[in-house]
Amino acid sequence: MRGLAQLLGPSKVLGARADLLMYEYDGAVDTATPDAVVLPESTADVSALARYCHEHAVPIVPRGAGTGLSGGAIPVEGGVVVSFARMARIIEIDAANMRAVVQPGVINLHLSTAAAPHGLHFVPDPSSQKACTLGGNVAENSGGPHTLSYGVTTNHVTGLEIVLSDGEVVRLGGKAVEDEGYDLVGTFVGSEGTLGLVTEITVKLVPLPEDKRTLMAAFETMDAASETVSAIIAAGIVPSAIEMMDQLATEAVEAAVHAGYPLDAGGILLVEVDGPRDGLDDVRQRIESICREHGARSIRIAATALERERLWAGRKGAFAAMGRLSPDYYVQDGVIPRTRLPEILRVVKAAGERHHLRVANVFHAGDGNLHPLILFDLRDGPEELERAKAAGLEILTACVEAGGSLTGEHGIGMEKNCYMPLQFAAPDLAAMRRIKDAFDPAGLMNPGKVFPTPSRCREFALPAAR
Amino acid sequence: MTAVSVQATPADAAECARILADASRDHRTVRVAGGMTKSYIGESGDTDDELRTARLGGIVDHVPADLTVTVAGGTRIADLAAALARAGQFLPLDPPHAEAATIGGVIAANSNGFWRARYGSVRDLLIGTRIALADGTVVRAGGRVVKNVAGYDLNKLITGSFGTLGVIVEATFKVLPIPTASDGVLASFARGTDAFAAADRIARAAARAEAIVVERAARDDWRLLVTARGEAAAVARAVTDARREVKVRGGSAAQLAGELAELRELPARASDGALVRVAVLVAAQTAFADTAARLESFATLAADAASGVVRVHLHGDDASVIRDAEALLLAARMVGGGGRVERRAERLRGRLSVSPTRSTGAVLMRRIKDAFDPAGILEPGRSPA
Repeated sequence: MRGLAQLLGPSKVLGARADLLMYEYDGAVDTATPDAVVLPESTADVSALARYCHEHAVPIVPRGAGTGLSGGAIPVEGGVVVSFARMARIIEIDAANMRAVVQPGVINLHLSTAAAPHGLHFVPDPSSQKACTLGGNVAENSGGPHTLSYGVTTNHVTGLEIVLSDGEVVRLGGKAVEDEGYDLVGTFVGSEGTLGLVTEITVKLVPLPEDKRTLMAAFETMDAASETVSAIIAAGIVPSAIEMMDQLATEAVEAAVHAGYPLDAGGILLVEVDGPRDGLDDVRQRIESICREHGARSIRIAATALERERLWAGRKGAFAAMGRLSPDYYVQDGVIPRTRLPEILRVVKAAGERHHLRVANVFHAGDGNLHPLILFDLRDGPEELERAKAAGLEILTACVEAGGSLTGEHGIGMEKNCYMPLQFAAPDLAAMRRIKDAFDPAGLMNPGKVFPTPSRCREFALPAAR
Repeated sequence: MTAVSVQATPADAAECARILADASRDHRTVRVAGGMTKSYIGESGDTDDELRTARLGGIVDHVPADLTVTVAGGTRIADLAAALARAGQFLPLDPPHAEAATIGGVIAANSNGFWRARYGSVRDLLIGTRIALADGTVVRAGGRVVKNVAGYDLNKLITGSFGTLGVIVEATFKVLPIPTASDGVLASFARGTDAFAAADRIARAAARAEAIVVERAARDDWRLLVTARGEAAAVARAVTDARREVKVRGGSAAQLAGELAELRELPARASDGALVRVAVLVAAQTAFADTAARLESFATLAADAASGVVRVHLHGDDASVIRDAEALLLAARMVGGGGRVERRAERLRGRLSVSPTRSTGAVLMRRIKDAFDPAGILEPGRSPA
């Protein structure tokens, strides 16, 4: 701590107990207190602090805005938390080449706002986009509702400057669409801070769509809503977003946001198509008829941009609205082939009932990315969280058995690292370990994440799924 | 063709892995062969063994409603396209060597055509792989779902790895419904700058084109080739807008026929002289193309103008081909891009390098190569490190 303050200057290092408490949590349920917090202002600062940590064998844990949902920014093995709050500059909007170069602390929405005068935007739009940082998006390979037809973070990053755990600064890729050699940019994105620290990011900017049509359809049951999703896709339509919400989630959202969702619907779909104005109403009408054929009892079409925003405010504010239902929630992020939706949603319901916990569902139905929000009350005792986790594990197991994944956009972090053997056999994990060792031979980058750790995962003697 | 002493044609992933493990143990170098369409890329050189993926073929699973397909690595891309078409779907990749290339080869060579700006490239569409490694294990990366961030993304690492890290025995891709309508525009311009300016406007237009290609053949006009596929109204809009952009810049527009397919196969045809392939910033293409067109050995230029991937075919006497190829790679570097000689006449071997000119992160690449292939048996001439 004192050494770091000497190295970087006291204004860039926090060590007081009260300060450290601010960095012991993120958007998920796990906590741990760092030994120190560093607020670098340049790549040189990051390189110097990494060299220092390397010399003293201190773990390094990068942190963006702390909105992560898998404990990725929690210093579970102690060490230094590196906050990128002071490296938050948009370095360049290169409209001619449809690229932006940013520092990792730039807030996701700020980039799209800065690009808008050029008719461009940054596609990935996580629900936390008003707070989350692009460095965090790179670490987690973040998604969002509009990634269904436009892709997630990894599809939009062309270049990175990273600092390895020994302090070395490495540039990967650039502004061009590809680079020769191995795709290390693609390998790094989504590595959850375990391979290195990102100090600069080059991303694609995409032309804003000319127009959009947004509609909300209310169904009697979640089954009917799920079947509608498959029918839309089967009709050859790939909307820019298809979101689904159950009755409990609707109840919370209406209490908090007043988005105008009907409270008596068993399931709600929010569907958006975008593109050239020509033909957009035809597509919207086709979606409408598919919804009606599947028993939609009411359909609302956003007539103005304001109405569209209101419909989206409900969806994007859903996690925060859970406070209306319960003091605590535990959110899962499993992915399934979208044709298995009805069946897996029944598993979600059964898991809640078995553990006597309410579960709200609000998720990206178009790409099969579930977000069951398991509600609990920590005031009733720490075993409540354990029950929520047990229900979550049942859901994830079903997702993986259906040919899916433990996580679609929130990451493994320290929350699900013990579950990795559910999805991956030993040789699969060994191959990932080789990449880890190539980037971070000292093992100092964000330890205790992604890979199962013997100390914390002993109780999970999980059989390999395959 | 370079020499090889032993050929193996494994019937499944396990046998494939066993062959690699034996080769690692005996320190025998291995070349991985799919359709053998791109063996000209890189210094492939002689190897002790050749591992052919011909028997690792066929569709493993296709779930039309999930818009995903899982296919064995040795499957020909043409066979996959035919199978998908029967369900009204397609894999939105249009690599060269469309007749004989295999899925594994397309991934290993990161082989893309002109559709990448519209639908994404190999790395964007590939969601899962099974890979036989040099230590005899078979690993699975990604899966069969379209969104997946569990663990590191080995799919990205294997894409463009040219067989140097392992053998792709199975792959899962995102697929799309075949669009209902299609149309195209063929325009010609007196100046390259107008062709690229029109291309740039079309690339940013509301109705997204499927391919936007600028072509120049020696002593000819500059040509702009645009295709659009999708809903009928959107296609009509794309073509109308494209024709307007052409007119504004003094070009003349006509109906597109089979020209794009022919241009896509430029790498297959360019067996003489040298074919230089670069990726540059889109706004730098005009200057790069002008430089190329003035070279003594210039023959043909084909630019995927929406993504900045430009191929230049040079031919003529050896000395000018070599000099011009080197000049082009330097020009690409000067505008923040990079590339390589993708193909060269056999007689230029040893005189013109086909290794990449620009590769950041070489130290990390070396460590990764060593970790996956410690005995260095896999495609020794093609390692990027």
